[in-house]
Amino acid sequence: MLNHREKRRYVALMYDSSGTYQPFQLHEKIGIRFRELFGIFPMQSAMLKLYDSEFRNIMIVRCKLKYLDCFLVSLALTEPPLTVVSISGTLKKLRKNVSKKDFRNIKNIRS
Amino acid sequence: MSKLSDIDIIGIDSGNAANTNPQENIILRIEKKNPIADLFPYLIVADNVRSLDGKTDLLVFDPFQGKDALKIKAKRGLGIEILVSPVRKLDAHLSARWLRELKSIYLLCQSNDCQFILSSGATSTNEMISARSFESILAVAGIDPRIYWRKLSEWLYSKTKARWRYVKS
Repeated sequence: MLNHREKRRYVALMYDSSGTYQPFQLHEKIGIRFRELFGIFPMQSAMLKLYDSEFRNIMIVRCKLKYLDCFLVSLALTEPPLTVVSISGTLKKLRKNVSKKDFRNIKNIRS
Repeated sequence: MSKLSDIDIIGIDSGNAANTNPQENIILRIEKKNPIADLFPYLIVADNVRSLDGKTDLLVFDPFQGKDALKIKAKRGLGIEILVSPVRKLDAHLSARWLRELKSIYLLCQSNDCQFILSSGATSTNEMISARSFESILAVAGIDPRIYWRKLSEWLYSKTKARWRYVKS
């Protein structure tokens, strides 16, 4: 038997930190939307997991690469809105990518 | 803002233009031509099929609306824009139906020589959708993202007034 490890992606999400939801609640909401749109089995198989982030308005979620499209669709169609800031194969690289962007400024911009 | 979502050019509503410096990666969305349009590349946007006229570049269309009027009134080269933001508030059944309708509108656009445009409908930075997320929505709806981006770029380039170099300085 091959020692095969399924690929994962770590997704950094920007959320409204002044809003009523905490990252763990948002993570739950994403899971609910994923389940509603794509079913329970894909949602469980996607192995969504919330990680700590050193940025105030950024949360990190892990997802299996196979279900990344479903995850991103669920994100885009979730209320409250969340914006994908960066996607990476490793947590270390993702945190590096996020730190390159200046979120103190981004937070206050209104389009 | 566009850097954050990995999108080269973003559209902003004319109401927000007063706080924004004219830049190469911004296109103004206006209902009719006004003096501020001289400072920005712009597109004329209509949010109703009935208000369509010869000058309209972009029609914001609700996928749950009947498509018969659109089939009759949509002229060649018209951009048909679908907003993602209203779907966030819909339940699972309607959201899934919205995803299904995307493909039918895409096919309608192809047959009428119109440009299909998927837009975040964002009113703040937090509501913006990244390019990668747009690609996932398109892929799930059965639309090839590469063809979508290529056709959208071509369409945008064909709109002279949406080009930065035609802005009056």
